[in-house]
Amino acid sequence: MAANMKKLNLLSLAVVVALTGCSDDDKDYKTLVVNNTLPVGSEQCVNGGTEKLEGEDTNRNGELDADEVLRTTVTCNDPASSLTPQQLVNLSTNQWFKDAKVKMATSQDNIEKIVKESGKAKNIILFVGDGMGVSTVTAARILAGQLEGKMGEEHLLSFDTMPFSGFSKTYNVDAQTPDSAGTMTAMASGVKTDVGVIGVDEDIERGVCSTVAGNELVTATELAEINGLATGIVSTARITHATPAATYAKSADRNWEDVSDMPEDAVTGGCEDIASQLVNFEANLEARFAGIDVNGLEVVMGGGRRHFLPKDAAFNSADAMSAVEGDRTDERDLTAEWQEKYPTGQYVMDQAGFDNLDTESVSQVFGLFNESHMQYEADRANDIAGEPSLSQMTAKAIDVLDNNDKGFFLTVESGRIDHAHHAGNAYNALNDTIELSKAVQVAMDKTSIEDTLIIVTADHSHVFTIAGYPKRGNPILGKVVAVGKTEPSMAADGMPYTTVGYTNGLGYRDLGDETNADASYLEGPAVGRFDLTSVDTMSPGFHQEATVPLGSETHAGEDVGVYAIGPGAHLVTGTNEQSFLFHVMDYAGDLVKNADAKLTK
Amino acid sequence: MKSIILSMVLLSPFASAVECKADNQYLQASYKVSEQTSQKLPKNEQSFTLWRTPRQVAQQSEQLVELWRQLSNQQIRPIRYFTQAKRGIEYQPSEVKGSQDFSSKYQLVSDQLLAKMQLQSEQGEGCDKKQRYYLKQADTVIEVVWLSNQQLVESMQVNTANYSRITSLQSVSFNKQTVLEQFANWDKYQTTDYADIGDNESDPFLAKMINLGFVEHGATGFYDTNGKALKSNHHHH
Repeated sequence: MAANMKKLNLLSLAVVVALTGCSDDDKDYKTLVVNNTLPVGSEQCVNGGTEKLEGEDTNRNGELDADEVLRTTVTCNDPASSLTPQQLVNLSTNQWFKDAKVKMATSQDNIEKIVKESGKAKNIILFVGDGMGVSTVTAARILAGQLEGKMGEEHLLSFDTMPFSGFSKTYNVDAQTPDSAGTMTAMASGVKTDVGVIGVDEDIERGVCSTVAGNELVTATELAEINGLATGIVSTARITHATPAATYAKSADRNWEDVSDMPEDAVTGGCEDIASQLVNFEANLEARFAGIDVNGLEVVMGGGRRHFLPKDAAFNSADAMSAVEGDRTDERDLTAEWQEKYPTGQYVMDQAGFDNLDTESVSQVFGLFNESHMQYEADRANDIAGEPSLSQMTAKAIDVLDNNDKGFFLTVESGRIDHAHHAGNAYNALNDTIELSKAVQVAMDKTSIEDTLIIVTADHSHVFTIAGYPKRGNPILGKVVAVGKTEPSMAADGMPYTTVGYTNGLGYRDLGDETNADASYLEGPAVGRFDLTSVDTMSPGFHQEATVPLGSETHAGEDVGVYAIGPGAHLVTGTNEQSFLFHVMDYAGDLVKNADAKLTK
Repeated sequence: MKSIILSMVLLSPFASAVECKADNQYLQASYKVSEQTSQKLPKNEQSFTLWRTPRQVAQQSEQLVELWRQLSNQQIRPIRYFTQAKRGIEYQPSEVKGSQDFSSKYQLVSDQLLAKMQLQSEQGEGCDKKQRYYLKQADTVIEVVWLSNQQLVESMQVNTANYSRITSLQSVSFNKQTVLEQFANWDKYQTTDYADIGDNESDPFLAKMINLGFVEHGATGFYDTNGKALKSNHHHH
């Protein structure tokens, strides 16, 4: 400081100027002392302080000039131990700050409301978004908000509002990046297993019927059934598909959906196809556990009619897509077998039948709304016979299941998020995720936080990314437009690019193009960059660009989110193996304890 | 090269249009496609067979069968069969966007394109009724010889300055039993939904699909409303 030759500005900062010297004709100068206040954030003192300058007024001008300073003493303030309202004003008047404070209070309240004792969940609902990784949740949230006229990013999906969340590690015992069979088996039974197998442990050999015996697992659905709860399974995929199947079936291969899918030695070896296991759920469970008397699944709704009908055009439904709808080569009509087992139950196959269900009087519902998978939510209007949405099925399922005073266990899968991602089509993946959010909201509205545990999660993720630096509120399915800009940003190749995209898969295709659209599906992967300047990337038929050429976009191996509300939800926190979720549900509903009591009675 | 045998003796030249259409609902027709992209290059020749039932049509090339089924809501449901592997991929109608004109599959030339073309001459009666159509659009000239009461292309030529393509009928038969057996034979193949391919990487056949994609092309005998062959539309950069 002493070396600083510029004249000090002593005006406002000068607190005291003290004359301590004496006057002398030639050499004695007045000694001057100047005390300055150092502001908070100053270079010398981050918390503020004082600076004491001492020197001699050699030019006798009555001021301590910079070149007259002989000593500088800096005294810094201690860190503040409290904040004044004035100091907080930039925070307390800020809307983000205020919103977060409100959220803090409600979060505290919500956490306190969660019943933490075991066995208090009368009802348990497990929602699974197939392939709904974290990036899918984020993008769907933004799209849902934008569809409501908001910027989007601030929006919350229904399950975003749940008080507890955590992560699941999704890998299978033998696979770093998993599939639905192994992951859903982990959630449904509490045991991680191999890729591609249903309801059996890792000692199984995939595709080998003889290895099933002795390796079967018990599922939460089966335990609930033993406990006398109402049980239900809802999916927009085929109801025999891996995720729903893992709640009720034991199979050495996820693809053994009906007898025609099985190798001859598996059939002769006594293995039962998945569709047959669904219809025989009650009988199989009673055969497995001596002395129990269960009443079967009350609600089964989804797609996959072909696996329940014989391969005979005479059994075709009104909206059959194939010349012969049924695939079964054993001449069995499982819908008829089901009706015979449950004469007071109702088999429905279209929207009209669904709408006419009397949920107060019907004992069981068996709904098979499509030959294969049900439609994407965005395509539902195109279905020939009409089919219900996931939220409609969820509502109807709860209305039927809650007729049981003991409670219910329901599994709901949004099965086609996965399929849209596999096709590299974000539009349908996100719209189906939004529909799942609606279904969860229906469940939250129809149940109580006091007696119903609701868990929302995914079985695995997909290689779906949200990238670039789009400005706030930029259409999530659109091209990247940077902050402060109105035109799309250009990549190094001089072409615009989309915010969402895929690491691998089929890549770009614009199926909205009428002249060549119906041929596009025949083509191989078209990865890399395309000029999207005049392409409407927000159209339903747009398929995002991909990097690695594959005939189908793949699952991803990162963790997935888990969201929970209701008794036992507090256990959904941190990062856990996916199999942990079974144990949360078991804790909340005392599933094993109560079933054990029934069996040992 | 198959000899040109039009076995239309089974159909009466005196049949009415309605009778003719009723009689030829079950059809097997062989076509030859001759394509030349440059005068300096040899012609590329391939053949395919068209199979029809009232609501289904299939185009069979050496290793590949493309089958389209018209649904009651007029949507088209495609299936791809791989004959060597005896496997099939089934698509949802919703997985095929854009205009769904069954006539372009069923007849090889769409009603829309025929309507745009100029009728130049007409001869014959009943099942033998033959019409010649012509269309010049920019530098593309399309000529179609159309067996109108059989809804069948006898020949179709597409010519531009540097490209020519001739699709010509080699033989046709109307044996219902043979046609039904052929469709039933394909129906026995193990099929997988297009949506399920991504979940079946352990299946060697599907793994090949996942890793290599659907790179095989059928003998593209189908044309859009502008007469353009529906084939690869890549625009790689």
